[in-house]
Amino acid sequence: MSAHSAQASEAALSACERLGQALARIDATDGRIHAFTQVLRERAWREAEAVDARRARGEVLGPLAGMPYAVKNLFDIASEVTLAGSKVNRSLPPAATDAVLVQQLHKAGAVLVGALNMDEYAYGFTTENTHYGATHNPHRLGHLAGGSSGGSAAAVAAAQVPLALGSDTNGSIRVPASLCGVWGLKPTFGRLSRRGSYPFVHSIDHLGPIAQDVGTLAAAYDALQLPDPLDPGCHAQRIQPVTATLGHGTEGLRIGILGGYFHDNAGPAARAASQAVAQALGASAEVIWPDAELGRACAFVITAAEGGSLHLHSLRERADDFEPLSVDRFIAGALQPAAWYVRAQRFRRVYRDRVNELFKHWDLLIAPATPVAAPAIGTDWIEVNGQRHPCRPSLGMLTQPVSAAGCPVVSAPIWPAQAQGLPIGVQLITAPWREDLALRAAMQLQRSAVAHTKEAAL
Amino acid sequence: MPPLTLEQARAHALSSAALVAVPMDSARAERVAGYIALTARFAALLESAELAPHSEPAELFCPAPFPAEPTSEGQGL
Repeated sequence: MSAHSAQASEAALSACERLGQALARIDATDGRIHAFTQVLRERAWREAEAVDARRARGEVLGPLAGMPYAVKNLFDIASEVTLAGSKVNRSLPPAATDAVLVQQLHKAGAVLVGALNMDEYAYGFTTENTHYGATHNPHRLGHLAGGSSGGSAAAVAAAQVPLALGSDTNGSIRVPASLCGVWGLKPTFGRLSRRGSYPFVHSIDHLGPIAQDVGTLAAAYDALQLPDPLDPGCHAQRIQPVTATLGHGTEGLRIGILGGYFHDNAGPAARAASQAVAQALGASAEVIWPDAELGRACAFVITAAEGGSLHLHSLRERADDFEPLSVDRFIAGALQPAAWYVRAQRFRRVYRDRVNELFKHWDLLIAPATPVAAPAIGTDWIEVNGQRHPCRPSLGMLTQPVSAAGCPVVSAPIWPAQAQGLPIGVQLITAPWREDLALRAAMQLQRSAVAHTKEAAL
Repeated sequence: MPPLTLEQARAHALSSAALVAVPMDSARAERVAGYIALTARFAALLESAELAPHSEPAELFCPAPFPAEPTSEGQGL
């Protein structure tokens, strides 16, 4: 069934029918996937019944009426404790209200089904969470789902929900979207409100949707938009909806494929995926992203310092309660010299200006989202073109330079033969505030069946 | 910036952990030192980037939003 006809038949169902299907799918599959850390059955039924009651009264319904969705467990959910993948947060009081983005999806009629697994405090690209268990890739159990929004991408890939919310500081939406073969959007830094989400790196944190198809991704993104003066990192002054222009295609756009760093650090499957997208969008010019390696260095240093500083109190008191895979990185970040951090922040302004200059000449740039397809859970090292890299930090080496500049990116799911049945994502990167162009390209790729989700054989 | 040795990173881990009161045994110091050395390599890359003295950090503190319109009793009078 095509994504479009699947959407149409789903929309014909009542909210309660759709919720019943989602819960049945979660019950049948989550023992093997481990995407969910909590299923909120009572709340979900209450929300679904309310949507159906409004429909029965003939009221105008929101654009996502009756759509089941779930959120990474760093989003506040009223009356629930916001775990952010940690054990330490279990002692926090429950959230008083929903996060702003959860409120926005509620207004649009979507039905919250539960909370999803993640790397502790979002510091990781693998969702190998020691406290709550590893999330498995629905397309190959025993392989990584990616992270840190691994539960979000896996839940969509396993068809448990058509939509999930995640966060992305250095690639945490794009990496799991790539490994799980689903659509992900990391919007412009400052586009969506982060209020009511547990922070990781204030200077770089973004939130965004992961979805089964481009129409759902765009509709959710439009519903999530809300200028929020109470979030100091929210720079959007007004809503800029994209749904109306989604079908406009890419004719006339200046599209290039990133070479240099993005080619050198991509394995054969990632290169093939990028080439397939470039060919489908008629792009042949190779473009060099300015200072990509320095951009990654900048993001790495800022992340370590801010992440470590944020948790310093708990690291003093309860280091043994932290995730063993990341606690020493947090501590190292808290101990690094201030001069490193300040220099990284100074470089970031120069870097941003160079990247924005590049977008005076290009509308959309193409690059792989991950160097390789999903490695097995527990993998310590990956090999990319004969170079050995530590697996956990290196899965984000192609996403980090882009989020350091704050550009919006759609990750498109591609299935190159070289990945032997696994997906790999391709980043569609545009200038800040031009999510519309990335989503238009995504829609074109979906319509031409170059990029698409696949049913997981579970 | 000269490359940081693991021994130097370990010494830094032990002394700076004391400064911010993070408990640090020798096993943890060893692991933390590895990450400090990794970050040091990224910091060294940034050291090699040219930055002018007037290159300011990406985000600056703002005491309050700049007023949209002059007020009758306001600025410039």
